[in-house]
Amino acid sequence: MIFENLLNAADAVFALNNLMLMALGVLAGLIAGSIPGFTITMAVVLALPFTFGMSPIEGLSTMLGVYVGGLTGGMFASILIGIPGTPSAIATTFDGFPMSRNGRPGLALGLGLWASFFGGIISAIVLVFLAPTLAAIGLEFGPWDYFMLVCFALTIAASLSEGALIKGLIAGVFGLLVSSVGEDHINGAARFTFGFDTLGAGFAFLPVLIGLFAFSQLLNDMSDTATAKKPMIEGQHKAVKMEHRQAIALNFLNWLTVLRSSLIGLFIGLLPAAGSSISNILAYDQTKKASKTPEAFGTGVPQGLIASESSNNATAGGALIMMMALGIPGDAVTAVMLGALTIHNIAPSPTFITTQPVLAYGIMVAYFLANFMTLAMTSGALRVFLLVTRIPLYILGVVILLYCAIGVFTLNNTTFDIWTLLVFGVLGFVMVKNGFPLTPMVLGVVLGPLAELNLSRSLSTSDDLTLFFVRPWALFFIVMALFSVFFPLYQSASKAGKRWAAFYGVGFMACTSVPLMMMEGGFRTGMGAVLLVLAIWLTINKLRAPKAQNPTST
Amino acid sequence: MKRLNRDAITALLLLILCGVFFWKTFEIREVPFSEMGSEIWPRFVLIALAILSLVYLFRSVTLARPETEPFSWSRWIRTYQNAIICFVMFLIFVLALPHLGMLVAGILFVFLTQSIIGGFTPRLLLMHAAVAVLAVGGMWSIFTFALRVVLPAGELFS
Repeated sequence: MIFENLLNAADAVFALNNLMLMALGVLAGLIAGSIPGFTITMAVVLALPFTFGMSPIEGLSTMLGVYVGGLTGGMFASILIGIPGTPSAIATTFDGFPMSRNGRPGLALGLGLWASFFGGIISAIVLVFLAPTLAAIGLEFGPWDYFMLVCFALTIAASLSEGALIKGLIAGVFGLLVSSVGEDHINGAARFTFGFDTLGAGFAFLPVLIGLFAFSQLLNDMSDTATAKKPMIEGQHKAVKMEHRQAIALNFLNWLTVLRSSLIGLFIGLLPAAGSSISNILAYDQTKKASKTPEAFGTGVPQGLIASESSNNATAGGALIMMMALGIPGDAVTAVMLGALTIHNIAPSPTFITTQPVLAYGIMVAYFLANFMTLAMTSGALRVFLLVTRIPLYILGVVILLYCAIGVFTLNNTTFDIWTLLVFGVLGFVMVKNGFPLTPMVLGVVLGPLAELNLSRSLSTSDDLTLFFVRPWALFFIVMALFSVFFPLYQSASKAGKRWAAFYGVGFMACTSVPLMMMEGGFRTGMGAVLLVLAIWLTINKLRAPKAQNPTST
Repeated sequence: MKRLNRDAITALLLLILCGVFFWKTFEIREVPFSEMGSEIWPRFVLIALAILSLVYLFRSVTLARPETEPFSWSRWIRTYQNAIICFVMFLIFVLALPHLGMLVAGILFVFLTQSIIGGFTPRLLLMHAAVAVLAVGGMWSIFTFALRVVLPAGELFS
């Protein structure tokens, strides 16, 4: 069945028109990702208006091209000049730049490219098999469970906002408020229009998103007058010839690093709103911890570079799994794709893969293909990167501001959307300057209608409010939400060496085991029981450990 | 008053916003026979936002913060000069859009904004003009002729 669907989808993806559009997307992504200060999300939102006139499969293939290209393009600046092209390539800088400075820029670029490729392919294989399975699990969700899933998505997005949990939560809830402006989707009553007819339809999601991510980011980048006037990269950089053969051999030699980092990337991608900016650092850190020579990291070791690049590309697969299986964006880019799908009147949900098999499997095939295209086009894009980065930032920034305006206008052919862009651009800029993260807000805007719909459905189905807490999946998401809320507290307690922090992990395991044991089917019940036993065993060990250690430490 | 820092002001503004929006929920039309009234969800969200804002306010006035320099308008303008220029120019662009159309208003926006930020030397002016015409004209052509999107022509030119 999977292979039949994949073959049908391949027909649509390998159409000449689609291949050309994807190639353009990959090239745009490679270049945009390589420019320091420009994020992949910005590149994808800018590509979005061009996809309005395309079929859903063409539009999504193009955006996937930009996404995958951007993830790889981020390494150019990281390796050659030591400035991460995108936040997803921060850890690439740690070993990529020293390797380049040690006279091996060709090997560093080759390693990064092939690690990205292998990470992407591993992630694509998992995507093909895991997305339908997760979607099948999603079919078990009732409205109570879905409502709690949205709550969990918002809390985890907030808890991942470095040191700003409250601000992250405020941003998420504020996003929910923004999404409630205009006619309510269930009863059709107007809300918060303040007498303006144009607000009756509410804020279109894409102008809000482009305003928050692209517009405000550009203004942040251009804030410093001196930096804005200088070329993005100064000095002469010659095009480098990549050392493919040695890079492939090193990737195979370090297959465990590739596999581990890809799985970390996938897992982070599966978490709502957690993207490649987190996975690359986490994978690098884990590889360093697992290494026999951790002290060599930072001097140009291949493992560090491989870990970062394979994990950031693998994150895309995880994010796509969540989007396609449950309709929850795995990161900011998949939030944009979710918006793009709604433009074509397609709402991803657990039934998406079965009702739209060509499109769903088309996304998977396009993701596969985008990785191969990126591999083929990187050398050419590297030359364009060296040219584009000689342009001063303000020249590029102002032009992109106007492209944003043209882009959002084409959505509904109304200038109101440009006003929305401006307002949310200003809001995003002010929020960032005051330390409020934008991702939870975007997630709030995207998931607000879904949360309201499921709350309404659950209240119409039953008056029993305890169903929000006693159904296994709802309880599972409550546990996840609570532990994600307290995660920053745990991090600081762990750093301060507080005793209770040692029990956070086992507490999580024990609490998660309860809903798992309540679920139907032997596997999940068994998994719950194993988790509980493991939690008890670890707790006993941890309680005993200090008694054994104290005499030696004192 | 000494303790009223930027975070506290933001929290207070959020609380005022919650109050105004909560008051507005009473103006939402009641829909007969609906299981969940249209005002329920926004109220739920507003209560959550108000609670979080109160926590934020409490934290902002109780937690010790590092000493910061006193606020100065001139420094603030210097810091955000480019962002302010972009906002103001974009605002003028949106206001001019119905009259001048996307092509002309767009070229003027790009040219003027780049010149204000980059400088007015003849060489730079020439470069900004070329970038504005090529970048905006190119994009306008793609949307108009290739993607068949009707962009605003402007009252003056239609």
